[in-house]
Parts: sequence; structure tokens; C-alpha cells
Amino acid sequence: MTTLASPPKLGLPATIIGLAVGIVLTGIGVVFGFLQGLSVQLIILSAIATLAAFVWGWRFVLGQFVEDAPTRTEGGIGEGRKVWLQFRPAIYGLIAIFALFLVFSLTIEGFFNVWNIISLLIILTIIVLTRTLGRHFQENRSAFIGIMVLCGLFSIGSMNIDGFASANNIKSMLLFAAFLGIASVGQTLVALLGGLDLSIPFIIGAANVGLLYLIGLGVPPWLATLIVLAIGALLGVINGLLSYRLQGQALIVTLGTGFAISGGVQIITSIGSAYGGNVFGTVPAWLSNLAAMNGTTFGLPVPPVIVIWAVIVIVLIAGMRLTVYGRYLYALGVNRTSARRVMISELTYWVMVYAISGFFAALTGSLLLGWSGGGFIGVGDQYLFLTLAAVVVGGTSLLGGQGGYGLTVIGVLVLQVLSSFLIGIGLDFEWQQFIFGLLILPMVALYARSPHIRTQI
Amino acid sequence: MSDSTAGLLAENAPPSRGGRANPFLLVPITLFFLLLGLAVLRSPSLMSSAGIGSAIIVATPLILATYALMASVISGRGTVDLSIGPLIGFINVTLIQLHGAGILTNPIVIFAYAILTGALYQFLFSLIVIYVRVQPIIVSLSGYLALSGMNLVILPRPGGVAPQFMADWGLGTSIFSPVFAILVLASIAWLLFTRTASYTHLRLMGSDERAAYTSGVPIYVVRIGAHLISGAFAGLAAIAFTALISSGDPSQGTTYTLIAVTALVLGGASLAGGRGGVFGSFLGASNLYLITFVLATFNFGAVQSFVTNLAYGSILVISLLLTLIIPFIQRHIHNFSPVLYFVVLGLVAMGVILHATNDRDPRARPAPVEEIAVVQPLGPIASEQLYVGPLEVAVPDRADGELRSQAGALVLSALLLIVIAVFARVAFSQSDRRTIAPAVVVVVTALVLFGAYLMRAEGPLASGEPDGAGTVEESR
Repeated sequence: MTTLASPPKLGLPATIIGLAVGIVLTGIGVVFGFLQGLSVQLIILSAIATLAAFVWGWRFVLGQFVEDAPTRTEGGIGEGRKVWLQFRPAIYGLIAIFALFLVFSLTIEGFFNVWNIISLLIILTIIVLTRTLGRHFQENRSAFIGIMVLCGLFSIGSMNIDGFASANNIKSMLLFAAFLGIASVGQTLVALLGGLDLSIPFIIGAANVGLLYLIGLGVPPWLATLIVLAIGALLGVINGLLSYRLQGQALIVTLGTGFAISGGVQIITSIGSAYGGNVFGTVPAWLSNLAAMNGTTFGLPVPPVIVIWAVIVIVLIAGMRLTVYGRYLYALGVNRTSARRVMISELTYWVMVYAISGFFAALTGSLLLGWSGGGFIGVGDQYLFLTLAAVVVGGTSLLGGQGGYGLTVIGVLVLQVLSSFLIGIGLDFEWQQFIFGLLILPMVALYARSPHIRTQI
Repeated sequence: MSDSTAGLLAENAPPSRGGRANPFLLVPITLFFLLLGLAVLRSPSLMSSAGIGSAIIVATPLILATYALMASVISGRGTVDLSIGPLIGFINVTLIQLHGAGILTNPIVIFAYAILTGALYQFLFSLIVIYVRVQPIIVSLSGYLALSGMNLVILPRPGGVAPQFMADWGLGTSIFSPVFAILVLASIAWLLFTRTASYTHLRLMGSDERAAYTSGVPIYVVRIGAHLISGAFAGLAAIAFTALISSGDPSQGTTYTLIAVTALVLGGASLAGGRGGVFGSFLGASNLYLITFVLATFNFGAVQSFVTNLAYGSILVISLLLTLIIPFIQRHIHNFSPVLYFVVLGLVAMGVILHATNDRDPRARPAPVEEIAVVQPLGPIASEQLYVGPLEVAVPDRADGELRSQAGALVLSALLLIVIAVFARVAFSQSDRRTIAPAVVVVVTALVLFGAYLMRAEGPLASGEPDGAGTVEESR
């Protein structure tokens, strides 16, 4: 969000009107707050936030029209017509949402209440802001829109659901987001090179079972964890080597190795065991503490997994931006031929990202063992499409070269907040999945549209 | 068949060599006959009327799902339709529910419903891809999640009853079942489509969309057309699936996504677009069916499903790695013909099948073996038997010996026919003077057939199998 266009200047009347409207809105918010019986600190905080956000938005929204004003006199197209041409899809979307809201209000009893209206306003604000402001952010447009969607979802959720914004719920959302986020590290890096890694869920399951099996054999837990992580990285190397010449089919190669890995690990663990693939054992306390909901980090009531994820996020984002390795990765993703001209080894990086992917998948599997306390081969199954969805929703292109782990973090958070919102309003699993599927498309369509074919020639 | 799947190579190979075949079919064909031979040796009952019939019933939904995937994959932009499995499930559950409500009863209406629903979904899909312009894989991911959720809403747990006329199809007692007819008709429909200009446009668009656009191909119309075909195949796959399980199942259809993508890639199609065909898709899907079939005949006790997973994954990876040697083969053999290769391996496999099915009990052969169950998992086997076992199913006795000596001449003539086919192929492709080649082929063929006739006249072996010769003659 660093590449803002020069802030537009507003006339004095516009500024005054903006301030006045903002203050009125804030006043309405304060009145509602007192009517709800919220604490005073909360009301003051939200009032300040409302005012600041509104004034900030007002400047930019009006700035559009101020900048556009000169062109109108030259072009001869009316202002309304121009807006219509520029924002046609967004206006269609607005009309559709209005119609949907109207239909819901008329058909569902009790749907027409103040919280739903505010939710509607938030959604409309998001759409308007993304269409108008989004074009100011050339590099990080998807990050901006992702954060907007995240804020909107979170505010809608905290208004409609009791305890959505409570510390406990936020902690649990972050916990699950951390698992998904760590599992998506590999998928993001691989996608940056234009590949796909579908073996992640299988490695997660294999690490989950394998770690417990090793612990059950009497290997010291720390050593067992290291062994599992090393094997995960090794499997990633194998994945990379096998799929290097078959990059177009990386999807199927990794799927095949995934099947083989999960089958092989289960065979190993069930040799000499009467339980046919079920592994039993006790998880060491420190591993449980790492990933459990009530875990503590140096005395703080935060599960260490979240801290680990935060460290990974910082290291990866900084590494991708600042180090040679990160820059070379982008170079390879954008254009293999030119990268080869500057002596970047494609094989090294291809194998490296798959190794990292395997390592983090194994790490996720180990952490999930600490969370669940029992080995289960299918523990990673949901991550097959979730990691893909997180990468895609974040805005990393599956064709390579565009995106980054920071975007995936936003994608992970959006998915997590969305799913706990859907759980919170009491939807069953199947409805959750249905709405999930329907929402991914418009979210991606907000920023990841490819240009028209005639502009690519 | 080679016309449909060939053609892409025409750009690579020099035209004078006549190489217009698809070398990517090499691996699936080899794998197909390898697995077929192994399957027949392990479980000869596969080659009975009931065995083939039930194999067709089980494999057809997968094959049709692969066709559906193929039609959209060819159109390029990485259109790997992950939602194909949930779509099949969706048509299945809505069909069952609507039939249960007494709305869909007529077979024609049911077929029309399934095909139109599939086509409608794919039509929406293509409109989103064209006008919203997001990556197709995102649309399909979205559709995957939405439809698999929807299926569970429509039918929370497996149940319901398929229409009565359809329930009988799933028994699979004979080869020529309605499901087989659907499969054949679908394949023929695609082969007819490959004769049209739209197919050329489709392949051009899949290989290079910009080139297609600049050369005036109506890419929107072509893309919508490809998706409509894909949807129609998905509808047929859903009907075959409904016939297979004779009820509704909200989650079973979803599993077809990964299997169909795998089958498509195994069949030599390119996920990037522009390459693919029904022959390869058929082989890929059949291979996957045969892999599971062969693995089911082994008994590994408690670790059965794990070994299945391991072998399944390994075969996938290995067969993909084998496609890497195709460029080396191509360097030496410029005129690889998949049909000829298929016929040659087919004859070998035919020999294996005859060996496996006849040697076991020659006297039982006149009576049709209808009552044998489909798959009979054999008992646990010792480890040395595991390596030797597949190669020899029965110790031949005297009657077998006689049968073999009788069949010797037949095998010889089959081999001669192979030689003729190979010779004809080489003569046509390698000769610069095309006008001479037919004459040479006719003369040599006549000579060889005359020799075969002389040998045939010596021994009274007329009661052989006509299949071996028939295959060659049909193919030429």
C-alpha cells in the first residue's frame, strides 16, 4: 500500500460537507452504542475509527471526481454516462445485491433488522471502495481488496454473532489460520514457480501418523520430530526431482507421490501392529502445548503455533523481498528463459520450493498431532483444496511470478474468518461449503481478472 | 482413431515421413495391455460375458467423466474442470429426488434432463470464464465447493431409488448393455465432432488462443461449444453412474474429480490444452480401472488398502515418467502409429487371454460361464508364489497340450498378419513413391497369405478363434 497516487485535493465546501456527514454518522453510531449498552471505551474507540475511516474514504472517493472533472469538458461525455461506463459491472453487482436484500426482506421473517442493514451498507461500501480506490494501488491491489474484504467480514461477523469478536474466538480463529497458513507456505512458493503441489495433505497425514509411530517406538520426541521434518523435506525433494521434467503435469505427479507416501507410511506403521493402520501413543506435553488452544508462549496465553506462524510470515515476506533467493524465485516465475540467461538454475529452485513445501507440510502434520493428540492419516484431507483456495483468494497467480506469501496470509485469514462466520450464524457443513464456493468467485473476481484477449496480442 | 488423436505431431515431424500419429499414446497403450494381461491371468473370469459386462458398467462413468473433462481441457487456459465430479453427483441426486417425487419417469425425459443440466452448468461456467475473465481453475474450484455442498443439501445421505428401467442396467450380466451403447455412442459422437471445423478451431484455440483470435476464429463461440459438449458428456456420465449404484449418493460422485483428471493425464492429454482425444481418455480411464481391479485380486490382509494406495501412486508417477522417453523414441521412430501398436499388442494380449481362459479347464468352455462372480479375491499367497504366480495359473495336462499344438498354426498366421501390417505401414510411410507402395503391399500380402493358406491346408485346425484375425482385418 505504499504506492498511492498523489492525494487529490478537495475544495473547501466538499471538505466541510464530508466532515459534517462524518460527524453525523459518528453521532448515529454513538447513540446506537449507548442504546446497546456497550462500554464507553468501546464506543469512543469505534466513533474515532468511524470518523477517521469516513474522512479518509471521502477524500479519495471525491478525489476521483475532482480529477475526472477536466476530462469531461473535453470529451463531451456526460458525468453520469462516464461513471456508468467505468463502473458498469460494479453497478450491476450493487443492483443485484439490493434486489437480493429486498427479496430476503420480503420473504424471511425478521430479516429486516438494523444489523442486516448495516451489514448491507458495509458490503456496498466494500464494493464501492474497491472499485474506486483499488485503481490507486497498482502493485498491491489484491492485498488492499483482501484487507477490505477481511475488515468487512470481521465487522459484519462481530455485529451479527455474539462472541465473534471475543478474545477466545479470535484466538481459535488464529489457531486454525496458523495451521492452514503453515500448510500453504509450500503451495504459495510452488505456485510462484507455476507449479502445484497436491501431495501436501498426504504428507501432513503421513507426518501426523509417522511422528506418533516414532514416539511410540521409543525415539525421543524431539529427535522424532526432527526426523519427521527431515523426511518431509526429503519427500519434497523427491517430488521436485520427479516433477521437474513434467512441470505441466506437476498436479498429477504430486498427487501420485502423495498416494504412494500415505500408503507407504501406513504399511510401515502397521507392520507388527494388530490395529491395521491405527497408531496409538502419548503425545509429549510440550508438543500439545505448542498447538493446543490453551497453550502458552513464555507465560503469555497465546498458543505458540500462532507465534511460530507469525515468525514464519515475517521471515518469508522479508526473505522474498530482500534476499537474492526471493528475487530469483520471482525472476524464474515470470520468465524462465531470461532467468536462465542470468545463470539462475531452474532445477535448484524448483526442487528447493518443493522441499520447502514438504518440510512445512510435515511441520503442519506434527503440529496437528499436538493439537489433536492422536494420529490420523486423513487429518490433512481438507487441506487439499483449502491451500489452493488460500493461495488463489490471496491473489497469487497459479501461472507463476505474481503474488507472495503476504497475500496468502490475507487469503488464509479471509477463508478462516468467513468459515467461522458461517459456523457462527449456525449453518450446517454443507451450506457452509456451498456459500464458501459461491463467495470465492466474486472475491477473486474483484481483483484477479485477466485482461481481454485483444489486449494481449 | 488415429485421425482424431493425431495431428498435433504434424507440426513436429517432417511430413514426408508420414508421421501424423500421437506418440503420447505409447505409454497408455502399453500400460493397458500390460494390466489387461495381468488382470486376466490373475482373474480369468474377467473375460467372461458377465465379467466384461460388469467391467463396462463400473468403468463407463469414469470413462465418460474423463471425456467430459477432456472436452473442456482441450479448450486451453488450463481449464481443468475440478467440478466435474460434484456435477455428476449433482445430476445424480437431483435425478433421484425428482424421480422420487414422480416428476421424471420417462426415459427420454430423464436423458434430456441429465444432458441439459450438465450443459447448462457448463454453459454458465463458460460465460463466467469469458466475461468475468477469472482463471477457469478458480471457477471450477468454486463450483466444486458449491456443488458438493449443494449435493449434501439435496440428499443428506445415500439413498433413493433409481428409475426401474435403469436399475436393471447395473446388473452387468452381458456385454451389450445399454450402458455400453451409451459409451459407444458418446465415443462415436466425439469422433464425428473431430471431423468438423469447430474441432480444428478448438484445438487451435487450446494451443494458442491469441493465434486463434487473430486468425478470426470465433473464440467465444468455440469455447462455449466445448463446454456444452463437456456438459453433455457429464450428463451421460451421471446417467451411467446412477445406473451403476442404482440410487443417489451425494459424495461418491465427488471422488470422480481426481480420478478423471488422473485418467486424462495418463491418457496422454495435455492439461495446458490443445491435445487430447477419446482414444487416449478411454485408455487412461480403463487403465485406472484395471489397476484397481488387479490390485483387488491380490490379498494383502490388513494392509490391503495401503498397498493399493502405494501401488496406485507409484504406477501413476512411473507412467508419467515414461512419457519422458517419448522424445528419444520419436528421434528414431518417426512414423509411430498408435493403431498398429494397439493391434500388435492386442494380438499378444489376445494370446494371453486365450491362454488364461482356455488352459484352466478346456472342457468347461462350451458352457457359458455366466454364474462366475466378477472378482474373486484369491486366498493369501506365499511370497515366492507372489512372483511366480501371475505367470502360470494352471499346470497344462495332455488335453491342453493337444489344444496348443492345434493352435500353433493359428498363432503363426496371426504373427504373419502382424508382419504384414508392420510391413504395410513401413512401406507406405518410408517410400518416396507412394504410387508403387500399394502394389508392393498387395503382392507381398498375397504371397504371405498364400503361404499361410498352404500351411492351413496341411492341418485341420479350422476351429480356431476368429478374433485374432478379425482384429487385424478390421483395423486395416
